[in-house]
Amino acid sequence: MRKVVCLVTVGLFLVSLFALGAARKFEGVTITVFTQPPPFIAKPVQMFAPDWERMTGGKVRLITAPWAELYPKMYSSFALGAHLYDIVIFPAAWLPDFAGAGFLAPLDEFIAQDSRIAWDDILPVYRERIVTWGGKIYAVPVDGDCHIFYYRKDALENPEYQKMFKEKYGYDLPVPPRTWKEVRDIAEFFNGWDWDNDGRPEYGVVEARRKDDQAYWTFFSRAAGYVSISGQPGGLFFDPETMKPLINSPGHVKALEDYIEIMRFGVPGMINMDSGEIRTVFIAGEAAMAIDWGDIGVMAETDPSSVVKGKVGFAILPGSTTVWDYKKGEWVEFDEPNQAPYLAFGGWVAGIDAKSPNLEAAYDFISFLASPENSYRSVTTPETGFNPYRNTHFETLSGWVGFGFGPEAAEEYLKAIQDTIAHPNVQPDLRIPGGARYFEALDAELALAAAGQKSPQEALDAVAKAWERITEELGREDQLKAYRLSLGLPVE
Amino acid sequence: MRRKVGSRVAQWQGRLFLAPTVVVLLLLTIFPFLFTLAMAFGKVSFEGGALKISLVGIRNWVRLIHDSRFWNALVVTLKIVGLSVFCEYVLGLLLAVLLNRRIRGRTFFRVTFLLPMMLAPIAVGYMWRMMLNDTRGPFNHILGHLGLAPVGWLSDPNVAMYSIILTDIWQWTPFMILILLAGLQGIPKDYIEAAKVDGASGWKIFLYVVFPLLTPASIAAIFLRSVEAFKIIDIIYIMTGGGPGLVTESLTLYGYSVGLRAFDLAYGATISFSLFFVVLASATLFFLLTRKARQISLE
Repeated sequence: MRKVVCLVTVGLFLVSLFALGAARKFEGVTITVFTQPPPFIAKPVQMFAPDWERMTGGKVRLITAPWAELYPKMYSSFALGAHLYDIVIFPAAWLPDFAGAGFLAPLDEFIAQDSRIAWDDILPVYRERIVTWGGKIYAVPVDGDCHIFYYRKDALENPEYQKMFKEKYGYDLPVPPRTWKEVRDIAEFFNGWDWDNDGRPEYGVVEARRKDDQAYWTFFSRAAGYVSISGQPGGLFFDPETMKPLINSPGHVKALEDYIEIMRFGVPGMINMDSGEIRTVFIAGEAAMAIDWGDIGVMAETDPSSVVKGKVGFAILPGSTTVWDYKKGEWVEFDEPNQAPYLAFGGWVAGIDAKSPNLEAAYDFISFLASPENSYRSVTTPETGFNPYRNTHFETLSGWVGFGFGPEAAEEYLKAIQDTIAHPNVQPDLRIPGGARYFEALDAELALAAAGQKSPQEALDAVAKAWERITEELGREDQLKAYRLSLGLPVE
Repeated sequence: MRRKVGSRVAQWQGRLFLAPTVVVLLLLTIFPFLFTLAMAFGKVSFEGGALKISLVGIRNWVRLIHDSRFWNALVVTLKIVGLSVFCEYVLGLLLAVLLNRRIRGRTFFRVTFLLPMMLAPIAVGYMWRMMLNDTRGPFNHILGHLGLAPVGWLSDPNVAMYSIILTDIWQWTPFMILILLAGLQGIPKDYIEAAKVDGASGWKIFLYVVFPLLTPASIAAIFLRSVEAFKIIDIIYIMTGGGPGLVTESLTLYGYSVGLRAFDLAYGATISFSLFFVVLASATLFFLLTRKARQISLE
């Protein structure tokens, strides 16, 4: 009997040792995560780090820096051999710079052995394009970014206003609008009068135009429909055969003309508004339409100061029936509007320093953070800055309703995002080394054109010239190779 | 002999005590200065785990000379500095003269007038950006009540720069007040009494006695404020981002956009160094122009 008791005790002891060892597999390991300050983007790290630490025995040290310092600090840490951070959470557009230079660890093997990450649940455009480079996976998506179109249902669906619109423009007010021309007419119609009976005039549209901010993404949201044809990669940025900039094509010029004209029907001061400001303006009920990431939707439905809860419609970005075909060098007509939803910014992704001494622990934390259950909590929690990117994010409405969405609004909101990401003509953002330099050159010229200090053609010609110079400086062959890789085209 | 040895030891002791300060100063000022100068004449790359600067001669400077955005930023900066500092000096002098009088609540007014200078420029930028908002700011609200049309304070290319200047004047006039008030209080009362005895009016006393004696303080205030104003970036970044168009983009903001947003470090360094040369040239010109005034004030 005594022997049996001893054996059982030893057995239990061994089992508990094993259990302890298995659960606390990263005991004594500290991983450093680097991103921008909370709440946006860093908040999910703060939300899930304690649970991960309890489970694994590891420690998570969060280091943050303002947006402007993120890229220099990440790049310096890698390039100068400092290796200060195990995990970096960064915009997807920087992946070519980091992965191309060998700074990030490939994650294919980790992912192949990890059922928790549920890789196939991530929408294809994110898992196959946004986080891959040269055929390998270098990061895990933690956020799905795209621009969608917002409109006031109480305005556009109002029968009286629809009748007035038809009398003025000769066609039915489309809800939602499917072309940029329709957006222009609707913006003009709803500009400068009190259509929501709150005693103040409202305006047609509000979009980001502020220099040194995010205006170029709003420009490309417009341009994509004019220049991106399904099944024909390239067109939005460069010719994928020659790396010639296409930014000053007739299609881009038309988009910029629209971008400028619609400001006449926008909220006063729109030229100086950034993305943050347009959101507060739209949920304050000042505009009939807007373009933004998922944030307006979340704020409209959940922010206590919103006066538009339940009144906002969501749709994929409008397009055009007249499209510039860069291969043919001519305008082509489409029977149905050519819509090309744009994955502006590309979303935030989490990568691991290739020289990190804690590769396994770092991957484990990312897998935990991005797991279906935890990522669902991230995208349905206020102020995380994370937008949906998995199938499961769209399938369960309860989290969104708990978040504060009305059930109907949640369904429509998620449908617009899902339709955008899964669209056959979806356009990823520019992802080549030096991307920030190309965008900075564009930003200045867009500002000049928007202020009426240059014509659209002059502005975009100047951008094309600047882009050529940047390409030459960075190496045309290398840039061409990178651009083709980003489009999923073969590289010889 | 003993005295010589003692003084040599004292000298070395002094040097040893000063050494840490000198080393820190060299590291924090001279080294970054020279490093930035090297970048301005080079091409920056990251190879083998190190930042490498390959000298390319004057290529960056040739690019700068042909860069219309650089010339625009230079003109914007000079306009902002010129108008801001002039208005700050005039207003600062007027308020300093008033605060120098024996009036009830003088201490209260002195503290209140100095408050804007104590705020962080970022906070000042946000505050003015909200006040100057086209649709919801109080400025246009007041104009509306007066029956006047709203003004695009930050959205109209013809007005935005003056809004930046107004904000700068609001924040930094107290700096002028501080220095000029100290200067006024340093003027011997005997001179003013003597002028009064001679029958001079208040205005003549100011013009012929006070103002000339205030020259050293005026020169110091204008010089110090101008050097700071040349570096303006914070309120512009918050209020307009350099827009609309490029009408409010200063040299420092341009250098920041190129160096840190576009990560073109070499060209960003070139722009930064160009600002250094502009400030150096402006300071030299200023001291040449005020040489006579300084000589008179010494006499």
